[in-house]
Amino acid sequence: MDEPLKLPVTNEYGYYEIRLESIGGLGANLCGKMLGELGALYLNLNSLSFSSYGSEKRGSPVKAYIRWCKNTKPLQVNSPVTKPHLLGIFHEGLISSYPVLEGISKNAKIVLNTSLSAEEAAKKYHINAGTLYCIDALSIAMECKSRINMVMLGALAKASGFIPFEMVEKLCKDTIGKKYPNLIEANLNGVRLGYERTSSLEISATEKDIERKNDSTETSGETDENSAFRNDFGKEHYVWGYRNAPIGGINDRIGSTVSNDLAPSREGYIPLFLPEKCINCGLCDSACPDFVFQFLPGIYKEKEAMVNNGLDYTHCKGCLRCVAVCPTGALVTALERDYPEKPYEKKNRDLLPDEISYQESGANSWITSDSYLTEKRVDGGVL
Amino acid sequence: MEEKNQSASIQPVAQKVLYDSGNELAAYAAKQINYHVMGYYPITPSTQIAENLDLMGAEGLHQVKLIAAEGEHSAAGICYGASAGGGRVFNATSANGLLYALEQFPVQSGTRMPMVMNVACRTVSGPLCIKGDHSDVMYLLNTGWIILFADSPQMVYDFNLIALKLAEKVSLPVVVAFDGFFTSHQKQKCFVFEDDKTVQDYIGPKLTRDNPDISAFAKETSTGENCFYSVLDFDHPISVGSYMNEPDIINNRYQLSLAMDEAYRKLPALFEEFFLLSGRKHDLVTGYQYEDADILLFLLGSSYHTAMVAVDKLRERGIKAGVVTLHVLRPFPAEELRRICANAKTIIAADRQDSYGAGGGNMSLELKAALQNMPDMDHHIKVLSRIYGLGGKDFYVEDALALFEEAISGSAKDFEYYGVTPGTTEHSVCTADNSGHGIKQPQYFAPLTREDTVKGITTCTFDHEQGKMVVKGGLLKDATAMPKRLAPGHGACPGCGIPINLNLLLMGIEGNVVLLFQTGCGMVVTTAYPKTAFRIPYLHNLFQNGAATLSGLVEVFHERQRRGEYPEGDITFIMVSGDGGMDIGMGSAIGTALRNHHLILFEYDNGGYMNTGYQLSYSTPMGAKSSTSHLGKSQYGKTFFHKDMPEIMAATHLPYVATVAESNPGDFIKKAAKAAAYAKDFGTAYVKALSACPLNWGDNPKEERNVISAAVDCCYFPLYEIERGITALTYDPEKNKKKIPVSEWLGMMGRTKHLVKAEYASITDDIQAEVDRRFARLKARAEHPLL
Repeated sequence: MDEPLKLPVTNEYGYYEIRLESIGGLGANLCGKMLGELGALYLNLNSLSFSSYGSEKRGSPVKAYIRWCKNTKPLQVNSPVTKPHLLGIFHEGLISSYPVLEGISKNAKIVLNTSLSAEEAAKKYHINAGTLYCIDALSIAMECKSRINMVMLGALAKASGFIPFEMVEKLCKDTIGKKYPNLIEANLNGVRLGYERTSSLEISATEKDIERKNDSTETSGETDENSAFRNDFGKEHYVWGYRNAPIGGINDRIGSTVSNDLAPSREGYIPLFLPEKCINCGLCDSACPDFVFQFLPGIYKEKEAMVNNGLDYTHCKGCLRCVAVCPTGALVTALERDYPEKPYEKKNRDLLPDEISYQESGANSWITSDSYLTEKRVDGGVL
Repeated sequence: MEEKNQSASIQPVAQKVLYDSGNELAAYAAKQINYHVMGYYPITPSTQIAENLDLMGAEGLHQVKLIAAEGEHSAAGICYGASAGGGRVFNATSANGLLYALEQFPVQSGTRMPMVMNVACRTVSGPLCIKGDHSDVMYLLNTGWIILFADSPQMVYDFNLIALKLAEKVSLPVVVAFDGFFTSHQKQKCFVFEDDKTVQDYIGPKLTRDNPDISAFAKETSTGENCFYSVLDFDHPISVGSYMNEPDIINNRYQLSLAMDEAYRKLPALFEEFFLLSGRKHDLVTGYQYEDADILLFLLGSSYHTAMVAVDKLRERGIKAGVVTLHVLRPFPAEELRRICANAKTIIAADRQDSYGAGGGNMSLELKAALQNMPDMDHHIKVLSRIYGLGGKDFYVEDALALFEEAISGSAKDFEYYGVTPGTTEHSVCTADNSGHGIKQPQYFAPLTREDTVKGITTCTFDHEQGKMVVKGGLLKDATAMPKRLAPGHGACPGCGIPINLNLLLMGIEGNVVLLFQTGCGMVVTTAYPKTAFRIPYLHNLFQNGAATLSGLVEVFHERQRRGEYPEGDITFIMVSGDGGMDIGMGSAIGTALRNHHLILFEYDNGGYMNTGYQLSYSTPMGAKSSTSHLGKSQYGKTFFHKDMPEIMAATHLPYVATVAESNPGDFIKKAAKAAAYAKDFGTAYVKALSACPLNWGDNPKEERNVISAAVDCCYFPLYEIERGITALTYDPEKNKKKIPVSEWLGMMGRTKHLVKAEYASITDDIQAEVDRRFARLKARAEHPLL
């Protein structure tokens, strides 16, 4: 494209900003990279992109940021995108756990990966501003053997209202096509279906609603000194500061990770316990990285024994290693959505408090480098 | 990014547009230069430089010999040796890696060996933080290296080219520094020279005296400027690294100081030359709206661009604000800086690091010093020192505005941190869900007492007749009663082998345990502040120093107990290491074993530096893909055999060595109990587990136990123990008729499954032969009563 593309809307600094919210393994990092490249090399814009940083873990929240401006303007701001014009949510489960909708204004376009219709999704997730575009990226990815991020790329282009589809197509051919020619057809299909199958709904919200929405995502009662954290959404708000934190970063809250709820790490499957088949051999306990199994003194075959009392699903990341090692089929794979009430759920046996206020979290997220496998995951991810 | 290359008067050579990050562009420059050698050791956020160079190397795009050292200190040594041999040499590092190598840098500069090192700036630990600030690069100020500071990915590319030319002009090593993550990882549209030859012509050949084709001696064409000694020169043999005391060393240092002056004189011409070639003009110091500014913000790196936006905002409001930055820290361009600051009334000097106790970061201090020498200053310039953005704290336009506004308010202190938070008060401590205040943080677990953990499930006694430990119990079904010393909720990947191996180890060890982790995935996922997974005492130290640290801890325990300052009773001390920690930390581990401290060294070997995104470690299988051993037309993956750490440890004649695998959990628990017993009564025990990493092994988390089992059955990871020098196989796949070819195991993992293809048959055959050879030796030892 020789003529620079005109951006339909920009912020006070002259930037058009995109934010992608995802969990590791769904390819949002690559999608962000492709959008950045699209701006720089195909739309003749000035373009910048980056992901949330850190160790690379699967199944944990990841963000990607893209910032565009006209070609003649330098890109000077390199901080995260707080008020996106275009927001892509790759995993709808994030909405209830993280403030992924933060910074949405009435002009924003939101692309949500869901099997719900735009009307249903807006209602379910209380989306009260912007225009919502829904796309069943998982089904489409499976249907055409593409990946969620490719379908989302198409949907994002569509929702933007100005990204020409031919350019996205060209980008895919140049990048994926060159590296993995055998995958290009399926992925192009995914992008195309993403572009075509989005359903949209304009949310009519008053400015007041939006303000209220934005206010409610902030923690109340913040002092001015704390306001520097206004953009650290999705992170735990710092309650230890220089006045009250133990010196030296010392931590006396033993075992406090137990208050993390790792459910967002699961990709749709849980191990299901069938106690009648259990021989209390302990192999599941030896294979579980998340110390989920609760063995307690009891009676097995009329003898005193450690008996499996069930699972603390709060910490289960759904790896299903236990299912693989169970010699008797007492642990089987199940779809999580079929079990809203998990049978044989048993809280951690050593916990002192009866009730814990859990904090939803994933495995430690962040991207420091592009795993050599990143672009090869053609499974589309499993939700 | 400014596109000055469209300027009419300049006819720059052909360039092409790339959409790349600072790290990618540093690698691209290195590829175009075609350095002889890169000695490196992976450390976030600089790792991608080696990764990208390796990727391009695998495709045959350059001939840079990449050498993965076992630590940054050695990486710097590799670079030094290669430069002493007349090579063009490249390195990249960050943070504690840079500090680990620190003693090598004055050697490089003091003996005047030019080279280029990229520093993707990151905060220095501890507490360990991987994010960006400038606390590492400031340690280099006194090393005699030239330091260029790039504030955009484009500048990283440009400075990498200029750096080498400058290095060879003045015979000094040069650092190209830039913000970790903000510059190293952000992708932007950038220009690179289309033709590698343009770059090579720009820098010119390195005229080393021993090169017969271009030898300065042979052709007498030396200008004296670009003519290098070489320790490979047999026509003119030289000694490098004299033993030099007073009165000579001061003269050597003075030569170095003169070389810095020379660099300072040559830089403007180099920048001009590069401008004519590229159309991009760089300066030692640069500013925006500084000419008439009353108030200036002085800072380094990517924040400069953000601050420019704030300046525009303030100018709209009629405030005469400006911003200044440096692109060269050594030699320090004091005169240019004075000139640019001359008209300001107030300067906010914001540093992304602190020289603790000095009242400012280093650049703030140097600015103040520079202003002292203002020749005809007619007014006082007030300098406010600020520390901001530590540990990667983002810098928004609003932050730049806040810094300005505070200075304008008139009540600003001379020195202050910007962006710190006091925390909530004692009365409204954290709630686990952050939903509100006033709920006291619950205590989740009671501390584990000795009674809680001494259950008599697995016990160990020494049989004096046999000279061996005898284990009773150790049954998995009973060991489930052992309390978990680690809490769930940690951040390991789904299916990660590390917590599984730790659990099996600790199931077999009764009584009080103190854990020490070296840096690695195990540490990162368990102690993400403000939470911790540990229910028992825990200590972290950096990647290479865990064993030594634990030695100190063990000895102070015994000494305090002896002096009656600490109650009687035993403690099992365990050092936990993985992610290649036995590469960089091997010296420390061997030292500990040789001194025979009473402790356990436990290695979870996941076959790579997984915490930094899977670079090869020495225990990565040969042929395996990693982000520093790519598969390509001129490379098949990792090129050397996996390290045999148990045998290396055995050579220290320590009392106990064992290998364990989760696929044999009963055996694992028993060996753990033995290790604790040996640590109590005899000295150092070393235990190694093969630990699955689904993310980077490229397999299904669910299948990991089968993968580990296959590694054992193919004898890649044989299970055995060495008790006081006597080797015993604890599981023999051959006897159990379970033996499988190595290729079966390799085929199970994404990182190695290419090896099963016919085209890699020779590699797989080599691996099989090596595995068989090692296993045959092991078996022979096990059969011999003395070995």
